[in-house]
Amino acid sequence: MNPRRIRALAYKEWREILRDRLFFVLAFVVPAALMLVFGYGLTLDVEHLPFAVVDQDKSAMSRDYLHRFMDSRYFDYQGDVASERDLAPLLADSRIRLAIVIPPRFQENLQAGRQAAVQTVIDGTFPFRTASSKGYVTAINAAYNRDQLADYLSRSQGVSRETARTMAQPIAVQLRYLYNQEMKSVWSIGAALMMFVLMVTPPFLTALGVVREKENGSIYNIYASTVSRGEFLIGKLTPYVGISITNILILWALAWGLFGAPFKGHPLFFFLASVIYVTCTTGVGLLVSLFVRTQVAAMMLTVVVTIVPSVLYSGLLVPIASMDPAGQFEAHLFPAMYYTDIALGSFLKGVGLEQLWGKVLALAFYAVLLWSASFLLFHKRPKA
Amino acid sequence: MTRPPSTLNSRLDLWWSRLAAMTVKELIQLGRDTLLLAAIVYLFIFDVYMAGNVSMQLNHAVVVTHDADHSESSRELYYRFHAPYFKLGGEVLDAREGLRLLDRGQALMVLDVPPDFERDLKKGKAVDVQVQVDASNTVLGFLASSYAAQIIGQFGSDQALERLGVTERTLQNVPLIQDQHRVWYNPNQQDSWFMPISELLTVVTIMALMLPAAAAVREKERGTIEQLLVSPLTPIQIMLTKVIAMTVVILLGTGASLLLVLHGIFAVPMKGSLLLFFAVTTLYTFTTAGLGLYISTISRNLAQATMLVILVLMPMLFLSGAWTPPEAMPSGLRLAMYVSPLYYFIEMGYGILLKGAGLEVLWDSLLGLALLGMAIFSFGVWRFERQFK
Repeated sequence: MNPRRIRALAYKEWREILRDRLFFVLAFVVPAALMLVFGYGLTLDVEHLPFAVVDQDKSAMSRDYLHRFMDSRYFDYQGDVASERDLAPLLADSRIRLAIVIPPRFQENLQAGRQAAVQTVIDGTFPFRTASSKGYVTAINAAYNRDQLADYLSRSQGVSRETARTMAQPIAVQLRYLYNQEMKSVWSIGAALMMFVLMVTPPFLTALGVVREKENGSIYNIYASTVSRGEFLIGKLTPYVGISITNILILWALAWGLFGAPFKGHPLFFFLASVIYVTCTTGVGLLVSLFVRTQVAAMMLTVVVTIVPSVLYSGLLVPIASMDPAGQFEAHLFPAMYYTDIALGSFLKGVGLEQLWGKVLALAFYAVLLWSASFLLFHKRPKA
Repeated sequence: MTRPPSTLNSRLDLWWSRLAAMTVKELIQLGRDTLLLAAIVYLFIFDVYMAGNVSMQLNHAVVVTHDADHSESSRELYYRFHAPYFKLGGEVLDAREGLRLLDRGQALMVLDVPPDFERDLKKGKAVDVQVQVDASNTVLGFLASSYAAQIIGQFGSDQALERLGVTERTLQNVPLIQDQHRVWYNPNQQDSWFMPISELLTVVTIMALMLPAAAAVREKERGTIEQLLVSPLTPIQIMLTKVIAMTVVILLGTGASLLLVLHGIFAVPMKGSLLLFFAVTTLYTFTTAGLGLYISTISRNLAQATMLVILVLMPMLFLSGAWTPPEAMPSGLRLAMYVSPLYYFIEMGYGILLKGAGLEVLWDSLLGLALLGMAIFSFGVWRFERQFK
């Protein structure tokens, strides 16, 4: 290893990146832009569900009951339709996501002390949203029934409504949301997005940078030079790691400053863990670049190994905890998951090395593995 | 050699045969890149398959209890947290231990039962039960807390009714609402019906954007575009053939994916017309390819093109309705969504495959996509032609 040669190579690569103005700008603009767009747009909160009503009773009580939905911020009232048959085209066209069907004689039954069945028709296309919508409807109906039961008890037992309420529901649930008291999804997403953006951009930068030399043939200059394999890899990749480290700081500032995600952990620990992570993801790009000969293939293969796992197996959208064992196993094979835990832990939970050392170790192991595999696979004497 | 064409008809024939020859050239070129082919097959088949095994619902979340009462009631309450949503993680002796488990992510929820829980319940006194939820992932946090509230609420009213001597029979006389749900299109809410479709639409988008852009930039970067320009081909032909070749590949991949994975493995009911689905996919591919070609005109090399593709692709994938519902988006981004071709494709894709919707329902989305497609594609063509002048 000759530090001078590494420096010269790194400088050459840096000049090359710098001269490609558009590429240089994009290397910083793309991560920041992704962070901004997702931070503002990607919300998993299920709110403002458009719904329609089939009110076959049209009584004071049915209107009173329906107002519990109309006044909720989770639902957006879209209007009444005459019959259940009219719901099909609305649901098929996604104009509404659910509908509430009030049976005829709703008021009459309730006033006579009989039960009335209220039916909710829900669009099941997006199962996650369906589960949340069901939860809202159940909660509203449960609250209504609690009031009804309290009324009944206060009449039959001759106590005040307040007492009857406690009698009907003696347990009060005190919910405490830890780490994110206000349940702001942008806080969670902001931290998780650092994982995503740093998983996607460095491999592309690296893979294309290396394959470009192969495809142009300029790599033969390297083959013919005195530069050794290790020197080449380190020198070539230093500028890309440097760009990614700058991006860590930019993204961090965006998550913290713009999205207001609290940072409760240890800054130095998080920074070092992030550096290990980008070393890792740069290594992914490097390994891809050694397998392929054309930039198009490099591009496609990088999509396969980065975008897909970092969407599905990282905890960004799909919680790892709720996967089946096979999915969990696959998630553990990709580095993204470990860094998601580190980012969420550092931002929201305020935990540090003593809780997260295992994840950092996994990332470091991954980085070493990728770089040594690349070192072994890179030959200065390519086979035809 | 044939003699130079004179009639309009033979000139048209020649136009078509050149187009066909170029398309074949593109396909051959694609076919020679084995790794690229492998990546395409992987994305269409294995990736779509893997997506089907992923679920966004609460599943076996670990609940631990800090039980200060140790009574029959507190145990009964705890045992109501069961599969599929929850998994019992045992008991912790003090609150700090519970926090530590939450910190480490070894538990999602801590149920805190106060002392004298049973005694107060039997007396009809109000009791508080504390639930601590790890909300660092808001999706999980929300689902866990709403299910927990449901379970505890049910337990509370069961206890109350038992104490008051209200039986099932007398309950019939209480004017309650029966909460009935009917879920359409995916009655059991299987993620294995939703996720693979979403992934397939994603893969189609990635391919439609990347492949034509890459094919076009590569010719520029390698200089082979000069050869094409001195050939009798017009710029439109050069460009169209790339789009046609990639569309053929994408349609083949989509067909294989639908048949082998969606139908074969996950048994997704394909209620609508497959012909319509393929027609829509073709239109969508052309539209998105137009975007890719536009990107190829502003970039000089593939590295630039790739970064630009990512810049366009990622927001498109996440903000077009599969993850974030349109109604939950801030209004500015909602407008941006209407210019994303993927928004219409998702509407129609799910509409045709799961909902069995036909043209009478989807015509507005189709019209939107067609208009957008024409605009984007002709803009791409215009830019592509202009760069040679």
